[in-house]
Amino acid sequence: MNTKLIIAVAIFLSVGTSLLAHRLDEYLQATIISVEKDRIQVSMRLIPGVAVASTVLAGIDINRDGVISEDEQLAYATRVLHDLSITVDGKSVKPTLISQKFPAIGEIKGGLGEIQTEFTMDLVAGGPQRRIVIENHHENAISVYLVNCLVPADPNIRVVAQNRNETQSYYELDYTQSVGGPDGASRKGWPTLGGLTGRVGFASIFRLGMRHIAEGTDHLLFLLALLLPAPLMAIGAHWAGFAEVRSSLLRILGIVTAFSIGHSLTLALAAWGLIRVPSRPIEVLIAFSILISAIHAFRPIFPGREARIAAFFGLIHGLAFAETLEKLGLGRWERVGGILAFNLGIETMQLIVVFTILPSLILLSRTRAYPFLRIGGAALAGSASLGWIGERLFDLHNSVDAVVAVVAHHAVWIAGVLFSISLLCWLLRKMFDHRSLLFKCDLKTTLDPAGRELSILSEP
Amino acid sequence: MKVFSLRAIRCIVVLAAIFLSAATAAAQTATSRIVSSANRFLATLDAQKRQGVLYSFDDEKQRATWSNLPTSFVPRGGMSLKDMNPAQRAAAMDLVSAALSPRGFEKVQQIMEGDEVLKLNDNNQPGPGNSGNRPPAGPPPGAPHDRNGENRPPFGGPPNGGTIFGKDLYYISILGKPSEKDPWLLQFGGHHLALNITIAGERGVLTPTLTGAQPALFTSNGKTVRPLGRESDKALALLNALDENQKKQAILSYKLADLVLGPGQDGKTIQPEGLKASAMNEKQRAMLLDVISEWAGIIHESAASARMAELKADINDTWLAWSGPTTADSGKNITAYYRIQGPHLVIEYAPQTLGGDPSLHVHTMYRDPTNDYGRTLVTK
Repeated sequence: MNTKLIIAVAIFLSVGTSLLAHRLDEYLQATIISVEKDRIQVSMRLIPGVAVASTVLAGIDINRDGVISEDEQLAYATRVLHDLSITVDGKSVKPTLISQKFPAIGEIKGGLGEIQTEFTMDLVAGGPQRRIVIENHHENAISVYLVNCLVPADPNIRVVAQNRNETQSYYELDYTQSVGGPDGASRKGWPTLGGLTGRVGFASIFRLGMRHIAEGTDHLLFLLALLLPAPLMAIGAHWAGFAEVRSSLLRILGIVTAFSIGHSLTLALAAWGLIRVPSRPIEVLIAFSILISAIHAFRPIFPGREARIAAFFGLIHGLAFAETLEKLGLGRWERVGGILAFNLGIETMQLIVVFTILPSLILLSRTRAYPFLRIGGAALAGSASLGWIGERLFDLHNSVDAVVAVVAHHAVWIAGVLFSISLLCWLLRKMFDHRSLLFKCDLKTTLDPAGRELSILSEP
Repeated sequence: MKVFSLRAIRCIVVLAAIFLSAATAAAQTATSRIVSSANRFLATLDAQKRQGVLYSFDDEKQRATWSNLPTSFVPRGGMSLKDMNPAQRAAAMDLVSAALSPRGFEKVQQIMEGDEVLKLNDNNQPGPGNSGNRPPAGPPPGAPHDRNGENRPPFGGPPNGGTIFGKDLYYISILGKPSEKDPWLLQFGGHHLALNITIAGERGVLTPTLTGAQPALFTSNGKTVRPLGRESDKALALLNALDENQKKQAILSYKLADLVLGPGQDGKTIQPEGLKASAMNEKQRAMLLDVISEWAGIIHESAASARMAELKADINDTWLAWSGPTTADSGKNITAYYRIQGPHLVIEYAPQTLGGDPSLHVHTMYRDPTNDYGRTLVTK
């Protein structure tokens, strides 16, 4: 076969670079974390490369007698543990050393020795959501790190996220530990209430739903853009007057409810595995939905049918929500509770946002300043959506994400400022306008073409 | 007319029957071919040498005696090609070839040739390493300190004819008795190679298997050889086929200096990370399967196709994670780490900084945490 093969050239050969077979100038520290109920087990493998072995050994063989005594082993393992700063839910935790195993000193010198140490931490009972942070300060200058956690054997424990710095010397593990019932007791058979709330925990999925909306700026932007013209009436191709408070409220309620119905439906279907749609078209359609509602806020394109539009795009947004839920990997029956909890979380956050912004919208819509907010808001939402469409459809990089993130980060402040401005504008109008009995005298009662009673702001 | 069509039908039925039985026969031959190759190989050995190759099937120590390291650092069990006569060597390679697909066997040969290149290069190295005062092979002798503390790593230059690297330093061992019915394990490996092939009836399991290469690019007979080149190229093509959003998920924000689940890390399932294939489109999923096939397709075809079917069924629960540069010089390997993980799969591709250019030195690992060494087939 290839016995006559002649190896002609070794192209990577460069003078003075030797060819090696193992670790050289790095101290590899590989950590594996195992999460159990109220307990963390950690095993570390420490492998000094040949060029740093003497440095590491100097810290092990303290008396330099060429032998790693039991005392020196224990002292070194203790030092390694001491060099870790570990917190659980923000509180510092001291690990307990279980074992340490050292190779022969010759192996370490040759860059082949693997030091093994295991330790454990008992955790005080905490909430369903937990965060463990391990910062490794051991021999930072020469070390490379690997940190991973095992898939938990306990079905009540679920890893939510792992975050690390670039070198992995900082590692953060978020996981949920179910508080409902004894281990896995409710996992089999027909779902009970315990089954619905078990494992990952109703509350944590609920919070996940809230966070998803709070951080999912595209969903909010769609809804807010749709709400912008909600207190107004369309006259022909323009937003001309404002509707009564009651009918504005009803309309807003209608839009929010329709959106909820839409996304609940597809969220349930997708989370249940009945429909599966690739994420990219959904992302594009979501961006598109923002563009549509932004245009509508600028000039009415579907006046009176906002609820239907909200329901339609709600269907699409629901598919995106389902992806987040899917990441939790819930079992079939847990999903019933999971979908419910997640959806309730979404609704709650949505209502919080709507009720935060609602007074400003109503107040400001009664003043001449409203077009600034409406058109400004529509322009912002529109350009954000165009940016997203460009990015999601054509891979055009832009700073929309970054800008929106900054805005979202200051959302509470912005909402506060908006309310203050709205209140101010409204008060100014009340003070300077003699016809300031806004809700009674300033309105002419007319009928719209459909015969409904409308209140239209009379142009001064 | 009627008679004719009846005859035609009969013809078709007979043909189909022949085809089917031929196909069944072909399927059956995989295991029986391996078993007869194994018996032929064992027959070339005298009783004493045969004992050196054979282990008990439940010998957990020998089962786990494999490594990416040169055989002098981590002595393997079994018998090396170096200690065989030409007939024995040919029979041994015939056995390995019978257990693998043609492209799998080619990959193995290229890895071994790469080690030969490494040996030649190493022997050409100037410097203190070649002063000839070091014993050939042997356990790690703490070399750098013997060499006036210079910055050169040890084992760099063994004396002439050094036995640290080379294509004959690959070991073969058999756990259990080669059988078409009962499970047995064929091991073949050395530096940068560890094949663990469990044969259980018609089933064949390749996990865990380690492949590696240094140099991962060399010239042989005027042809450029990259033993693990397709692993690099196909993965990079897949990465490039991802959109920005998908890349954001697939690319990890941290560095990986080495394999997470390398030798000695049997039976561990780490939390998967990166981009889930359920968020890929059909074409990307097919590309992912194609990357996987570089490992799953090392074993002989009938076992490989069963394995690929299993992995295809899992594909939506399979994750891709990438760490490091997202480009590679044309014709060279990537310098990035990647991991493909599914319910029955862990693949890691880990370039090594050792030697200076990570594109020229790579370790890879192929595992099935649920079925390493074919454990699910073995439980009686």
